Amino acid sequence: MEKILEVKDLELSFHTFAGEVKAIRGVNFDLLKGETLAIVGESGSGKSVTTKSIMRLLPEHSSEFKNGQILFNGKDLTKLTDREMQKIRGKDISMIFQDPMTSLNPTMPIGKQIMEPILKHRNVSKSVAHKEAVDLLRLVGMPKPEARMKQYPHQFSGGQRQRIVIAIALACNPQVLIADEPTTALDVTIQAQILELMKDLQKKINTSIIFITHDLGVVANVADRVAVMYGGKIVEIGTVDEIFYNPQHPYTWGLLSSMPSLDTAEEKLYAIPGTPPDLLSPPKGDAFALRSDYAMKIDLEEVPPFFKVSDTHYAATWLLHPDAPQVDPPLAIRERMKKYPGSRYYEGTEGGTY
Amino acid sequence: MAEKLLEIKNLKQYFNQGKPNEVRAVDDISFDIYKGETLGLVGESGCGKSTTGRTIIRLYDATDGQVIYDGVNVHDKKSKKDLKEFNRKMQMIFQDPYASLNPRMKVLDIIAEGLDIHGLVKNPKERKEKVVELLETVGLNREHADRYAHEFSGGQRQRLGIARALAVNPEFIIADEPISALDVSIQAQVVNLLKELQEEKGLTYLFIAHDLSMVKYISDRIGVMYFGKLVELATAEELYANPMHPYTQSLLSAIPLPDPDYERTRVRKSYDPANHNYQDGEEIAMREVTPGHFVYCSEKELESLRALSSSK
Amino acid sequence: MSLDIKKIPAESFERVHIDSSHAERITKPSLSFWQDAWLRIRKNKAAIASIFILLFIIIMAFVGPMVSPHDAETQTITHANLPPKVPGLEKLGIFDGVGTLAGKEVDLYEMKKVDTYYWFGTDGLGRDMFSRAWEGTQISLLIAFVAAVIDMVIGVAYGGISGYYGGRTDDIMQRIVEILYGIPTLVIVILMLLVMEPGVIAIVIAITLTGWIGMSRIARGQVLKFKNQEFVLASRTLGAGNGRIISKHILPNILGVIIINTMFTIPTAIFFEAFLSFIGLGLQAPDASLGTLINDGYKVIRFQPHILLYPSIILSLLMIAFNLLGDGLRDAFDPKMKD
Repeated sequence: MEKILEVKDLELSFHTFAGEVKAIRGVNFDLLKGETLAIVGESGSGKSVTTKSIMRLLPEHSSEFKNGQILFNGKDLTKLTDREMQKIRGKDISMIFQDPMTSLNPTMPIGKQIMEPILKHRNVSKSVAHKEAVDLLRLVGMPKPEARMKQYPHQFSGGQRQRIVIAIALACNPQVLIADEPTTALDVTIQAQILELMKDLQKKINTSIIFITHDLGVVANVADRVAVMYGGKIVEIGTVDEIFYNPQHPYTWGLLSSMPSLDTAEEKLYAIPGTPPDLLSPPKGDAFALRSDYAMKIDLEEVPPFFKVSDTHYAATWLLHPDAPQVDPPLAIRERMKKYPGSRYYEGTEGGTY
Repeated sequence: MAEKLLEIKNLKQYFNQGKPNEVRAVDDISFDIYKGETLGLVGESGCGKSTTGRTIIRLYDATDGQVIYDGVNVHDKKSKKDLKEFNRKMQMIFQDPYASLNPRMKVLDIIAEGLDIHGLVKNPKERKEKVVELLETVGLNREHADRYAHEFSGGQRQRLGIARALAVNPEFIIADEPISALDVSIQAQVVNLLKELQEEKGLTYLFIAHDLSMVKYISDRIGVMYFGKLVELATAEELYANPMHPYTQSLLSAIPLPDPDYERTRVRKSYDPANHNYQDGEEIAMREVTPGHFVYCSEKELESLRALSSSK
Repeated sequence: MSLDIKKIPAESFERVHIDSSHAERITKPSLSFWQDAWLRIRKNKAAIASIFILLFIIIMAFVGPMVSPHDAETQTITHANLPPKVPGLEKLGIFDGVGTLAGKEVDLYEMKKVDTYYWFGTDGLGRDMFSRAWEGTQISLLIAFVAAVIDMVIGVAYGGISGYYGGRTDDIMQRIVEILYGIPTLVIVILMLLVMEPGVIAIVIAITLTGWIGMSRIARGQVLKFKNQEFVLASRTLGAGNGRIISKHILPNILGVIIINTMFTIPTAIFFEAFLSFIGLGLQAPDASLGTLINDGYKVIRFQPHILLYPSIILSLLMIAFNLLGDGLRDAFDPKMKD
């Protein structure tokens, strides 16, 4: 598969009143053509900052690229001028934000807002742009698109607004679409509709999507691959099945076991103790060690490198070091692993040993 | 079942009553809450679930209807003393951990507020000891008492909110979306804490939420609200295994679960209120289909639902 | 992704148990809102400079007339219209008492045989401008502070009650404000000063008569914003009465905005007083304020520019310093600037 975006050793800091916040501390990932990569993590894990830095949307006076590259079709986005970046934003890479209320201009009819990127990035006449905007609205499932072109954002419901935002983001057939918690502000039934729409559109126009969320249910629904972020780093990355059925990092274990399932009745939920690290003074070694039940001496001393689990699956935990003791993951995780050929708890018959 | 702690009878809460922009946030709902149970209340934004909670605790004056707590209607005009007593028994935990703690007060004063109002401690030393005890109950410690709310993380703040509510030894706690603003890993901490406290102190909860998987986990019974109406009420197990109202069915089918295999096969149902085809004059009300399982339906629908459930 | 597996001593893989309460520790020092704001304002150079300028002017307003060898009220006709002369600086060719007389540059002190120094010169009646300027500043500041405090008290009380109780109360109180706001301030002031005897009290009343309206609107908006915040609701569910909610929850939270707004009302009041005095509605001689001094000075600007110059500089400094300080406070208090 062709790589469309490569993020290499990205490090980024914010200079705040209290000191330097190391928001991203060495992030590496690739985005392949046509896939959906979900980035999960809690607030402050750096997931939003990572994508905002790809779009170069961070305030320039307070943020600083410390290291690393963001290669988009071979071009390093961190080195582009603002003007060059403007040509990419909205055309090659576009973004959907969490709150559909605030990402539309309330004083402009939505038709005009959809036409804006078309007119800006592509050399077409107004009438062509208008026609395309109507088509886009139809594409995102808006009934009576012609009539609705002249309406203003307040005349739409939350779910419809998010559809419009998606239409704007797709106006120039971007190669990469970054969706930053696009369904968090929506109700479950509306969320389900928007997720269906996004998957549907992806098939139609073959865009790569980076989907940021903290909701593991949504991840399981949309993602092809998943990157789990913690404390400004990716701690585990793999295909959706690998992450959900054969997770390796204790943080991923913690996340997955802290969600109650609908069909079993647990007596007590697993709760990750403590609170996320303060990135003003990030902990030494594995940032998660302080909250992990599986911490080892070395976790407190050295940052774990990525260990390879499979060609697509990597995890940054010392537990995967060949000399590390073998540990049993929490019960809920062992249950999950039973379904996965290739894990040592596999109970199926498809063969596969660890 | 155990004794009733709270009876809500035909509760109505209309905003801008009589004006063109009248909103029927809570429209004639009735339910009971039993001692020691957790009743979950779910629904989408704007369905009136939070308003229901706030009306029960008298943050709003009800337009109509009764809230009977331990046999006394709390919406009757009452003396200041009675109201204060009522405020001690019933407490609330709020949704937004950032807005629910006064940014200008120290944790000590935030948690001690209930103690001060009700005169539960005699001197500053006892006050401090009581606050420390409460902090320890929610997994924090003495060091935290002299800090300000903005120095805490979301999950810690929510636990401070719980400690504040516990300070007056309430019997009944309304938890208004207490976890929806928290990260997944932190949600479990708060939910576990609420469960532990319930066991220790015999608390009764009204747990309002839109996250259905957490609600199922914590609740004994669940009520589903849709546009100000309660449309279905059943035990948690029953509601998930056998949802009867089409809205409940659509809601349940929309929840994404952290299980890719399940997600690949999940079929979403949609709900259109017009599909009920209610005739004029038909009385639609909460009706008991199977024991303990109530559905908002017409007489005709009741029959078909009964037939359906007995055939299963 | 680095895949090279280092050899690591076996004991490194020993399991360690970490007390989870460790992770609850907060390492940052505990800062109250006000301490935090102070740290912020300390980084704002303009605000700090303004604080020093204001302190200097305020101190001088009281100390100035005392250190000057000349009294503010004493009229020495023979010393009239002298330009500034400062010991020490006179040797540098500035402040040496040289002024123009009939188009020629002459040393007026020598001409009039004055052997003393007037640091800011004298006015047409031979009064020492140094003492007069600082006494004027004193009066101006007094009027401004009193007016600002009265504005604040009335405005916060009125806006607070209106916003907190809401409903019908709010409707009525806001209609009253709108009516008051509709009457041109200057007309009221002129009518009032016709009835009352011009003086400090009259001017304070004139300024505060409608000045509190701005503050009341801000206070009302703030109270509306906070009264439905969850921490206020929480306090209500705990059984708190209105008094407690207002004093413990609402006031401490709106205090920042009120202080900022007061910082901006003070220069406005100073300016308004100067304006009233300038158009002749303000203080009457021999009392001096910055406004009356400027009024006196502007009449002789072509011949005795120093009479206008010093009060104007003080007035401008006051205005700029108060505004910069207000801006600095706003940045320091504004939670949106929080990191």
